[in-house]
Amino acid sequence: MNFLDSLKISASGLFAQRKRMDVIAGNLSNIETTRTEKGGPYRRKMISVVAEPIDDFGDMLGSQIEGVRVDSVVEDNTPFKIVHNPGHPDADKDGNLQKPNVDLVVEMTNMLMARNVYAANVQALKSTRQMVMKALEIGKT
Amino acid sequence: MPDKLSLRNMSSALESAISIAQQRHNIISSNISNLETPGYKAKDIDFKTAMAQALGSESTTALARTNAGHIGQNTGSEPEIEPFEEDGEWNGFNWMSIDKVMNKMTENNLIYRTATETLLRKIAIMKEVIREGGR
Repeated sequence: MNFLDSLKISASGLFAQRKRMDVIAGNLSNIETTRTEKGGPYRRKMISVVAEPIDDFGDMLGSQIEGVRVDSVVEDNTPFKIVHNPGHPDADKDGNLQKPNVDLVVEMTNMLMARNVYAANVQALKSTRQMVMKALEIGKT
Repeated sequence: MPDKLSLRNMSSALESAISIAQQRHNIISSNISNLETPGYKAKDIDFKTAMAQALGSESTTALARTNAGHIGQNTGSEPEIEPFEEDGEWNGFNWMSIDKVMNKMTENNLIYRTATETLLRKIAIMKEVIREGGR
């Protein structure tokens, strides 16, 4: 158990939030994409994260202290939005157009959350640094 | 005759405080990085309990103290990690409020720095004594 553990944990948190930002940016840039390689409009993506013990087997407490790991990128299975737009090349014969199930408000909220959690992790990192610097002073005088 | 507030006693207490604060910092970092992990349970160490445990721990395997002047032995017991009461469940996962966690981290950071600073000053005093006594 040492400070390297808490650095690792904070780093895992930073990584997870950055990944989340990547996915949100992807959703936002594809908010109007009506055609994809798989066919059909773009499906909203999310990341799923799991808590993962910091591997420190020599330590009883180590298994209880967990970092975070990005498990997978999953797709949101909510139905697509349908708008009437007969002039659109991707519209069906009734003139209905399927649009991605990306909600701008939801994405913006998630983005704020990701940013705040990222900042919290940075703060934890700074706090670790302060503690290490203070501990180093013990040997200095 | 050892004084309650002798340098040795004092620094072992400070050492325990620093070590507990460090472990607590790891746990709080873990809580922060898992702020948005579904199913994650927030954990914490109760500083007061852990401190009392560290100061008063004398297990059966410890060296016997038959005289008040004997030096005790640090049994190095680990503080207990316990889940801490949170704001309850929301949308199926254990919701931790970011401000509460940050607050805990700042508080713990202050404890750590105070303990370290006190230890530093103790050492400075000891050095001063050695220097003046050597004249």
